[in-house]
Amino acid sequence: MSTESKIRSYIMENYLFTDDESQLSSSDSFLQKGIIDSTGILEVIFFIQDEFAVEVADSEMIPENLDSVNNIVSFIEKKKSAA
Amino acid sequence: MNSLFHYLKKSAEQSPDKEAIVHGDVRLTYGEIFKLACSIASFLHEKGLKKGGRVSLLLDNSPEYVATYYGVLAAGGVVVGLNTATKARDLTNWITHSGSSWLVAHSKHPELNKILTEHSDLSCLLVGEQDELAETELLFRWQDAIATDTTEPDISTLGSNNQLAAIIYTSGTTGNPKGVTLSHQNLVCNTESIISYLGLVESDRVMNVLPFYYSYGNSVLHTHLAVGATVVLENSLLYPQKVLKKMQDERVTGFSGVPSTFSLLLSRANFKDYQLSSLRYITQAGGAMAPSNINRILNDLPDNKFFVMYGQTEATARLSYLPPERLKEKLGSIGIAIPGVSLEIRNEDGIKVSVGETGQICAKGPNIMQGYWNDPETTARTINDGWLMTGDLATYDDEGFIYITGRASEMIKSGANRISPKEIEEVISELEDVEEVAVVGIPDETLGEVIKAFIVISPGQKLEKMAIQAHCRNNLALYKIPKFIEFVSELPKTASGKVKRYMLIENHDVKTVA
Repeated sequence: MSTESKIRSYIMENYLFTDDESQLSSSDSFLQKGIIDSTGILEVIFFIQDEFAVEVADSEMIPENLDSVNNIVSFIEKKKSAA
Repeated sequence: MNSLFHYLKKSAEQSPDKEAIVHGDVRLTYGEIFKLACSIASFLHEKGLKKGGRVSLLLDNSPEYVATYYGVLAAGGVVVGLNTATKARDLTNWITHSGSSWLVAHSKHPELNKILTEHSDLSCLLVGEQDELAETELLFRWQDAIATDTTEPDISTLGSNNQLAAIIYTSGTTGNPKGVTLSHQNLVCNTESIISYLGLVESDRVMNVLPFYYSYGNSVLHTHLAVGATVVLENSLLYPQKVLKKMQDERVTGFSGVPSTFSLLLSRANFKDYQLSSLRYITQAGGAMAPSNINRILNDLPDNKFFVMYGQTEATARLSYLPPERLKEKLGSIGIAIPGVSLEIRNEDGIKVSVGETGQICAKGPNIMQGYWNDPETTARTINDGWLMTGDLATYDDEGFIYITGRASEMIKSGANRISPKEIEEVISELEDVEEVAVVGIPDETLGEVIKAFIVISPGQKLEKMAIQAHCRNNLALYKIPKFIEFVSELPKTASGKVKRYMLIENHDVKTVA
């Protein structure tokens, strides 16, 4: 499964409670679309750390890195290539 | 002062160029926000809003929210601030129950179409783009409304004779919504009391992350506007670094939160990593906060005054505060009554308890609500001889400081939200194969409590957790979706058939996953 698919499945299963792919666009803003609340984003960070072995520093907890499936994919790729 | 609008008028006259509201790149002065409020008042008046007419607001915290709130008050109307996080099911119910003739909403609110379909006779003022909505004679645009002649409304009798100012819907069910009714005097008295113990002044700048549709956020807004201070809006805690950076950049002097606000901020950020030397006071209400988090803030911000406070929507907002200079020695206490309010802890016979004994907190003062809207029975059970029965259990210490020990009601407190378990049970019960359901609050480090549903499925049937959560997501606000679901063969009950919720809480298996 690709990084994108894994993240999509996680978000859909845990926050949208559906397997209907049409319910989530990978560019949807979690904040603007009301997909995840403020405790949800902490869970997403735990998921990223566990699933992809990527550390998320406090200073990296910004919308540019986390606010959509696409942003998370880019963030993980950036972190992995820097490692 | 007779009304909050009088305060706004005074602030606008004294300091028209002073910043009142900061929201993203938008900065509105007192002169500008006052002019907007007057325009909205004139517009509503011109369109036939009568004294006492209810106007529902479905807007996130924004300059438009503020202008509409004060505009409705000036027009003699009653503000019904609707929870923007919730779904059409609740929203249409509250609009019907309050008898609102007007709705002021953001055109992009995801539930708007459903509401307008349900309420075809509702006049609606829309903020934001509205190209997707059909034009009707009951739909009005914000830009047209604020272009209305800005003659100052006649406020000579505003606020007299216990005139109603606002209805706030709190934790009720679909069948029994609880609309707390507040008069202009309720709002003014609580505002004045809070200003006095917090020592708020014109030079203050508060960072507000609390929704205005709840009483706490509502009081942060009104108290700061009443002294001519500045309210900086940040509507999400999703990214704590962003919030603290804004606090630094805006040189805020005050910050208000519920325990989960601080848990979320402290879990991924540090106050001391930011230049917050302007910060003078932090207020916390909405349930007990972990002493470790309070101590961390005190260590990070040693010159800051930290106010622990307690209150209820039924008391406009605030009932008690712990003077900051006593915080360390009285940690865990909600303090003493705020100026103008009397608090008593009474036993089941209505007699004041002695030191160390437990009883219910009862409150009296000019901030106690008029009652629940159109519900004299619940009002009579809640207010007795002018005393509000809070439903919170507590004890006194030998100096009269109050310590909350528990709650007499079944309400779940999660983050800033007070949630009726019955409301969630009602929604889950709609699923065909659900035979019985009981919902409880399970202790949670960040949110105080999170929701767990225990479900009995009809014999021979099967139901997926995800299907239940999806149904909840379609019908309930995000914060009301059960985090945990456990299927059980039966619910523990008393001899009379009442579910023993305490047993469900005690038996919660921490390994049960969502």
